[in-house]
Amino acid sequence: MRDQIAKYTAKLIADRAARPDGIAFAAQDDRLIADGNPELARLAEGVLSQLSCLGLVAACPALPFADFLVARAKPGESTIVPRDTETRTFLHDIPFLRRTELDSDPAPQIARFLANRKGVVVEGVGIVASGAVTVEQAFINYCSVFHATFVKYLRDLLHEGYLIHGEAEAVREFRDQWLRPLSAEGLVSRHGSLVEPAEILAEIETVGRYTVERGLVDSFFGNISARAGELIYISQTAASLDELAGCIDPVPLDNSSTTGITASSELLAHRRIYEASGAAVILHGHPKFAVVMSMECAEENCPITDCWKECPRVRFLGDIPVVAGEIGAGGLAKRVPPVIGGPGKALVYGHGVFTVGRADFAEAFRAMVDVENWCREEYFRRLAAV
Amino acid sequence: MHGWTGNILRVDLTTGRAWREDIPREVLHAYLGGRGLGVRLLRDRHRLDPFDPDLPLIFAVGPLCGTPAPTAARLTVVSRSPLTGTVYDCSAGGRFPWRLKAAGVDVLSIEGESPQPVVLAISGESAELLPACDLWGKGVHETVALLAGRGSVATIGPAGENGVLFANIMMGEGNSVGRGGLGAVMGKKRLKAVVVNGDRPVTLLDRKRFDHARQDVMRLFRASPVIFGELGIAEYGTPALVDLMRQRRMAPTENFRRTVFDGAANYSGPALRREYRPKNDGCYGCPIQCKKSTPQGEHLPEYETVSHFGALNGIASLAAIVRSNTLCNELGLDTISAAATISAWGEWRGRFPTADEVPALLADIACRRRDGELLSLGSRRAAAALGRPELSMSVKSLELPAYDPRGAYGMALAYCTSNRGGCHLRAYPISHEILRKPVATDRFSFSGKARIIKIAEDTNAAVDSLVACKFSFFGATLEEYAELLAATTGMEYTPQGLKEVGERICLTERFYNCANGFTVQDDLLPERFFSEPGSSGEGIEIPPIDRARFDEELQKYYRIRGLTAEGVFADADFLVRQP
Ligand SMILES: [Zn+2]
Repeated sequence: MRDQIAKYTAKLIADRAARPDGIAFAAQDDRLIADGNPELARLAEGVLSQLSCLGLVAACPALPFADFLVARAKPGESTIVPRDTETRTFLHDIPFLRRTELDSDPAPQIARFLANRKGVVVEGVGIVASGAVTVEQAFINYCSVFHATFVKYLRDLLHEGYLIHGEAEAVREFRDQWLRPLSAEGLVSRHGSLVEPAEILAEIETVGRYTVERGLVDSFFGNISARAGELIYISQTAASLDELAGCIDPVPLDNSSTTGITASSELLAHRRIYEASGAAVILHGHPKFAVVMSMECAEENCPITDCWKECPRVRFLGDIPVVAGEIGAGGLAKRVPPVIGGPGKALVYGHGVFTVGRADFAEAFRAMVDVENWCREEYFRRLAAV
Repeated sequence: MHGWTGNILRVDLTTGRAWREDIPREVLHAYLGGRGLGVRLLRDRHRLDPFDPDLPLIFAVGPLCGTPAPTAARLTVVSRSPLTGTVYDCSAGGRFPWRLKAAGVDVLSIEGESPQPVVLAISGESAELLPACDLWGKGVHETVALLAGRGSVATIGPAGENGVLFANIMMGEGNSVGRGGLGAVMGKKRLKAVVVNGDRPVTLLDRKRFDHARQDVMRLFRASPVIFGELGIAEYGTPALVDLMRQRRMAPTENFRRTVFDGAANYSGPALRREYRPKNDGCYGCPIQCKKSTPQGEHLPEYETVSHFGALNGIASLAAIVRSNTLCNELGLDTISAAATISAWGEWRGRFPTADEVPALLADIACRRRDGELLSLGSRRAAAALGRPELSMSVKSLELPAYDPRGAYGMALAYCTSNRGGCHLRAYPISHEILRKPVATDRFSFSGKARIIKIAEDTNAAVDSLVACKFSFFGATLEEYAELLAATTGMEYTPQGLKEVGERICLTERFYNCANGFTVQDDLLPERFFSEPGSSGEGIEIPPIDRARFDEELQKYYRIRGLTAEGVFADADFLVRQP
């Protein structure tokens, strides 16, 4: 378990999801161990000892957005409700503890919240998340909370502006220092169509890793596929985009085998996109500004309230079509394929981006970078006008 | 009270008396229903022989039964197994549980032994015993048809009447209370069937909150490739696993001598679809509908059944496998134990049965005649009688299902720690080791598995007490089900609280087993898995399991459970301190 703790500590740092000096994990098999920042490690140990879970992470997020959300919350509120559909599906809501509510030993309080939810925001301390089955699961739940609070904060800013002291400076620093330019330059990827299985697997692994390394997406959220003849090679469900070796399922287009039962929950969407667009490869991820911007809608007096699943329209952000639809067997597999063929890209409301390459991944990768860059610029343009 | 009725219907078959009693609220709150409640109610009688008339046969529904909670129209039957000698529970879905609850009871507890065959008919407030000499000896289908006018039916077939140690109780719609031979317990009591037609609605405290949680569950089902994915179990039924187990090289073949069977493609999910054009025929009220049947209504086999009547016996004919399944359902035999016992016998005599020989063998088992007399005792007793005990691929006498433990080490451990013997469903590590839910674990590693198994056993004990179907948890979690439970009953349960309920149940079961003499020696896989490799190939190595590493992880499990190195309780008063 120590190797798992080391691995996911390094990942939190590489993903810039937590401050390098502010990370601790705890894990238990027949005994409980904790490692990392000593103060957080003590807290992690104290919390995990009260839970029927294998792993737990307590870390200080690399951005202050979760704390800002707590500070902006109205008195009497005790949860953050994520705005993006993917984290809302899996987290429902995120409880928080205000600084003023914390006991001298907050472990029992935190454990009470984690008895019911996968992650909790503790103001002034960080995000604490549990994993019932593995250390990785605690890492994933942390990342989900980090993603959800990131997206929700940026969206709230667009609608409510700055409310508390220090926000404007923090956001300026975020924009100027923290964010890095996104680019597809310098990536070594194959040009032209892929034929050999070994070549296809290697290319999917490489591109998956690039999407994470370039800061385009978080490792755990997204999927990727390539079509070769009558097979779709697709990343498995619950796979990390930067660790796809051994986690790619070949799925026959005619459903003559069900080994692909472990394939990504978006298999159906991928299949229909191939059928509708003649694409060779598909990339799907949750770049954060794209997710934030997908939820911006100018429609007034619209009767639809559950926009994320029920909006029937095709909206546009620049030249990017935006559609609604639930994940998996829900609606996005119906709504994305008809719109993605022409532009080679599409946004799903509150969820993420699909891009295609007609021949190779270079095109799909570039398209995803372009979408996120466009959304990032547009976001700050609109924020300046708030 | 919402969710629970608070009543137990007790029937004494010896005297013919039936009466209702209250169940203390704190017992309901501490054990929920289904498995937990049944196990609790077995206290003080858990040392009785499985065929002792005083041993109760308990049918228990849960607080979610009768509500629109997804997959919750289920009950659990609890008693002591004549096959394993352990405390035993098995859950089944269908209309029967729902109508039992609607008769105003959480539990039906049957004890005693009737002088002649009877049917228990529950109608509204009344419960009466009807003579059933004319039904005795009849198959399941006919019995159900004859009783259908009186309500939903749970019945035994000839196998249960004749005391086959792996006889099922069959639900009218084709679901079975399987594996541990509770059909034989029912047969010993000369209870041919229970028929029930309650129609009281179940009240639900907070409809709005409930609907919200229900939508959360359904959204997670739709997001789960295993449940509603286009290659998932809603589409193909559990035979969707056939191709996957073949690809992972862990499909038990020829009594576990090999782990790949070339004929498996004949009975895969797509093959079943091609051959039969199946329709959905799943449990009542279940949105997943993983059970399939032919357009004519013949039930199609599940994964375990196709694999064990197929690969385990070297039979590649889908038609023969479907016939075996139908015959088991008709005779009231457990398909896994029947197929595995025949397979062990096949290895002993040096020849696995041909497809044409299986039907007669099954009939002989159910009637306990010719070779069937020996095989009706299950593989452990049969192999021992034949002088080759090592040929029984079982743990605590329960035949292993169709996941070779050499291909999933958590499964290897969980077969052994299971309180009802070699069962895949107690901790269900296939979920993470193979199906990557909720996250993937390394199937060839023991690391962390003791803790994972312990947590999963507790979780599933709670699930079995709600009672919900395990397949729900390929998508949903206890978070959503705790919310459904709270909305139904008004009691604020949390996932952590439910796991603590589950822990109490698992430990109680283990305590009963220890009281009946079970120790570390019984928590063991057949030697084959430690000394013979599976079928390696296609870049996948299937070596024998490292015995030392297995033992080390088992000891970790004991420490996590608070047991001694012998796997027993240091604290003789454990039970006294439980609610
Ligand atoms: Zn997605």
